[in-house]
Amino acid sequence: MSDSHHSPAAGAHHEEHHDQTRTYILVTVALCVLTSGSFLTYSETFRESVPLQARWLFMMAIAVTKATLVMLFFMHLKWEAVWKYVLTIPSIIMAIFLMLALVPDVGMRQRRYSEERWKNAAIPEAEAEYGSGHDPAVPHHE
Amino acid sequence: MTAADHAHDDHGHGHLQLQYQPALPISSGKLCMWLFLSTEIMFFAALIGTYIVLRFGAPTWPEPHDVHLSEPIGAFNTFVLIMSSVSIVLALEAAKLNKSGQAKMWILATFVLGSIFLGIKGYEYTAKFAHGIYPQRPRSSIYERYDAVYRSALRLRLVDARTEVLPAGAAAKPDEKKAEAEAKTAGEFPAVTQVVFLQDKPEEKKAEEKKAEAPATVPAATAPATGTAPAAVAPALPPALQKVADSVNASLKKLDDPTADHPKLTREAVQTIRTELLFPIKELSPNADLRAQTAVDLLLKVVDNPQSDIKVVANEVLPSQSAGHVEGLNDEYPWLQLPFVIPGGNMWASTYFLLTGFHAIHVIVGLLVFFLMLFATLDIRRTLLIENIGLYWHFVDLVWIFLFPLLYLF
Repeated sequence: MSDSHHSPAAGAHHEEHHDQTRTYILVTVALCVLTSGSFLTYSETFRESVPLQARWLFMMAIAVTKATLVMLFFMHLKWEAVWKYVLTIPSIIMAIFLMLALVPDVGMRQRRYSEERWKNAAIPEAEAEYGSGHDPAVPHHE
Repeated sequence: MTAADHAHDDHGHGHLQLQYQPALPISSGKLCMWLFLSTEIMFFAALIGTYIVLRFGAPTWPEPHDVHLSEPIGAFNTFVLIMSSVSIVLALEAAKLNKSGQAKMWILATFVLGSIFLGIKGYEYTAKFAHGIYPQRPRSSIYERYDAVYRSALRLRLVDARTEVLPAGAAAKPDEKKAEAEAKTAGEFPAVTQVVFLQDKPEEKKAEEKKAEAPATVPAATAPATGTAPAAVAPALPPALQKVADSVNASLKKLDDPTADHPKLTREAVQTIRTELLFPIKELSPNADLRAQTAVDLLLKVVDNPQSDIKVVANEVLPSQSAGHVEGLNDEYPWLQLPFVIPGGNMWASTYFLLTGFHAIHVIVGLLVFFLMLFATLDIRRTLLIENIGLYWHFVDLVWIFLFPLLYLF
């Protein structure tokens, strides 16, 4: 059933075989560079010079780039037909909007905390009454 | 695809000639795999979205070093998984060229790399468990803040630890009276009694302090509250240890002083106790039981005192000499296993284990399939199979590409 579709596709790939391997190697190198880039983001120099939200944005941009590279090249989507949009776009829409839908309810729940709740809520160690065990030079998230 | 192209070429009439296509121009297996992957995208989007929303909606979130999360290990895992993605792509290329031996080698490489990923994940998990970090109670030792609930949990654990460090000759978990009787006849240590459960009456306190001033052992707190002298005579301490014991007893007196209402004093006292007793005693005292008993009794005294700073009891607040890794009592005395406070730690543990656990399950499924594929001949007829499994494995890699910054770097 699929053989008639398969053999011309295999032939096409056979012609561009050398380019494919080179492409894969380039993509692999790019992924390694991006991974070390995202990891270096957590080093001391970065953490001191770049503000927190910028670091987050940078890390997510790297993650999205890596994901795009994997999807386009390793998962072969660059050379696939229009159906790829039918499958990927709705799921991406669901991913984004399902998460955004939770934000007003779960993400902003602290706005409705009662006094009682705040008394029992966790507080950052730096604000704990008896001083902090953290090295003050280390930036503390929230 | 080729048929559709020709359909457009052949007409000069200006209107589209639609050609019936039975399905998408891909094999059924590939289509089904893509449909499955889009459901998996939604599945992980739900989990990752939950994590994002819970994390940014939480009052506070722990630092990676608080929860023993190591970014280099996560980065290495990312690298391993990316390499395994590359190897499955190369396996597909080899299969398309009908080089089944080479394809099998690449599948084996993928399997090995995936197993390395899983092994490192397992190592990370055991490190968490060893530090008492579990997804939920009752195994989880994480508390959210230094409140009365935490103090009582700390106390409960210390009382349990006390029965665990009874000197040799006493039963492992005795009832208290029996332990008292046995220890009295054993002759070496003061008995483990119920003193800490009773409020010290003033005259008993004086009696206790008298005993503390004598060339006493450091566990002065274990003197029975009934006021009778312990039947056992404590052994004389070596001079260095005696000096430590004296300074500690002085600090203890400060701690027990009812007139001392200056909070700084008790905090200093507890810090002194910690730095002077708990760390040096491990070098000076040859007797592990004495050390252990001392530590537990001392901690019980600290916890029972409402003014004392219980933050220094269990939590990892004192930096040690080794590589800047912050160590606490649970590291010093691994048997102690005290509950500790990591603000936001329980939520962190839940989301961490949920996300990485589901991802690990997907990795295991992939590895199982790779293992089964090793028994087949991976020639050109198997390219569809390899392609589809490759799609699944690339998806697993994709999820990890997002999990790594979200869990480790944020």
